[in-house]
Amino acid sequence: MSESEPHPSDQDLLLAADGELSRGRAKRVRKHLDACWSCRARMREIENTIADFVHVHQRSAEAQLPSVSSSRALLKAQLAELAAKPRAGMWPRFTQFMLAPRTVAYVCAVLLLAAAGSMALVRQFRGQNQSESASEIDNDALPNRTLTPGATRPVAISDVCSMPHEEVVRAVPTSVRQQVFREYGIQHPRAENYEIDYLIAPGLGGKEDIRNLWPEPYTSTIWNAHVKDALEEHLHQMVCAGKLDLPTAQSDIANNWIAAYKKYFHTREPLVANGHPPFSASMGNAPHDPLEFARLEDRFGGLDSAMITSDRARLVCRITSARRTRYGFALIKGPRPPTNRAQQG
Amino acid sequence: MSISRVDTIQRLPFPRTDAVARPASPSEDECEVIRLFDQHRNGLLRYTLSFGLSMHDAEEIIQEVFLALFQHLRMGRSRHNLRGWTFRVAHNLALKQRARNDGLRRTLYHDEAVMTRQRDDAPNPEEQAASGQRMERLRAVVAALPEQDRCCLYLRAEGLRYREIATTLGISIGSVSATLARSLARLGRADEGYAP
Repeated sequence: MSESEPHPSDQDLLLAADGELSRGRAKRVRKHLDACWSCRARMREIENTIADFVHVHQRSAEAQLPSVSSSRALLKAQLAELAAKPRAGMWPRFTQFMLAPRTVAYVCAVLLLAAAGSMALVRQFRGQNQSESASEIDNDALPNRTLTPGATRPVAISDVCSMPHEEVVRAVPTSVRQQVFREYGIQHPRAENYEIDYLIAPGLGGKEDIRNLWPEPYTSTIWNAHVKDALEEHLHQMVCAGKLDLPTAQSDIANNWIAAYKKYFHTREPLVANGHPPFSASMGNAPHDPLEFARLEDRFGGLDSAMITSDRARLVCRITSARRTRYGFALIKGPRPPTNRAQQG
Repeated sequence: MSISRVDTIQRLPFPRTDAVARPASPSEDECEVIRLFDQHRNGLLRYTLSFGLSMHDAEEIIQEVFLALFQHLRMGRSRHNLRGWTFRVAHNLALKQRARNDGLRRTLYHDEAVMTRQRDDAPNPEEQAASGQRMERLRAVVAALPEQDRCCLYLRAEGLRYREIATTLGISIGSVSATLARSLARLGRADEGYAP
């Protein structure tokens, strides 16, 4: 390209300015610019526009960028925690081959069938009539979405995770309680029957707002306030351990807390119903405590799970397809692992 | 039969080989991640905020990006062009977060403060009087650009080369170049119809 050649396009000028042209082509554009005032003026305009944009972009963002030091400190803490955990996916290839997804699926299926079969036998033997299935959802257990859609307040993870316990389980003032009962048309409510509960718990950024409060029955349903408390605690722990982001936790619990319970505890029934374990004594000591479940989850997190119990020892077999290459099968017995509730502040 | 926790580890069917295959000590990886964080955190944060996310969400995403980077390094994956890698991950996480927030907004009442806080950072009236009107016009042009064009501009402004932008957005280098030229032309015309 010379002064007699056609003028380079704006795109070519930009490519030249950005150093993205091939050496030969860049040389020709440069030569043309040396000779052509109008193209030099266009080039200047492009550069000016770039400068203006950069100015706008950086000034609008710079004002609101928080200091890097607290973010760095948080990252360092999380990295240290992550570094302390063994890495996933470092097994030799042959183990991956041996423990192929299909193999795991077959084993899972067999174990699940065996577990289901034994449970059915136990129920039949004991003549239990489980007419009130836990998977059936009692209408009272879920709030009216119109009256109680959920409301959040702006909080940082660090705020939520450093909240004192009394703040997390904050009681609702009497005047607000009465307002909620009125809204739900409940006359002469008995205190022992209902908990005026936060749909999104304060510990998950929920707000004390009529839109986030509803009368949750303690009794007469399987999915009751005790069960929801366990879910809130579990989600709070997951959020603080960086395993779940706060908006997801809020959204899941607000949309359908029972579905959230099933999702996060990997179960169809409450692990604690009315404060009592759901498994009969003959089923062994399955992890009926949701917090123990959370600890197991911590160690063997994943989506698929099968629990097998024995009357001799508590053997919990969790086969996780997500981490099968690391753990394969694991048998756990003995002291509970220490709670490692991460406090990020 | 008593099975202790020590037994448990020994009874795992496959030996642990982490120590053998580790390409670099974790501390080296951690240092590398922190170094990259110091270098690119502001740029990544600005880029993430350009998706209209709150500062809280954006900061969460940046943390997630660098934790993912740590895992990436720890697993011995490619160390080539880690800046581009972080922007790519931030881009994907920002899109995901925005979609999630959109879903959340449909069902949740949000505190007004969250919404107003985003608008507080606009320049004050004096600044606007000086050179602000032109800046406001440029902002309006940027806001009206198609998302991909806007992303190209922001990524270029953060110093990414065309190839990196192309990889981040999953488009060709030619598209990046055409998009940038088109967007700059629009920005250049922002003053048309206004007195200088």
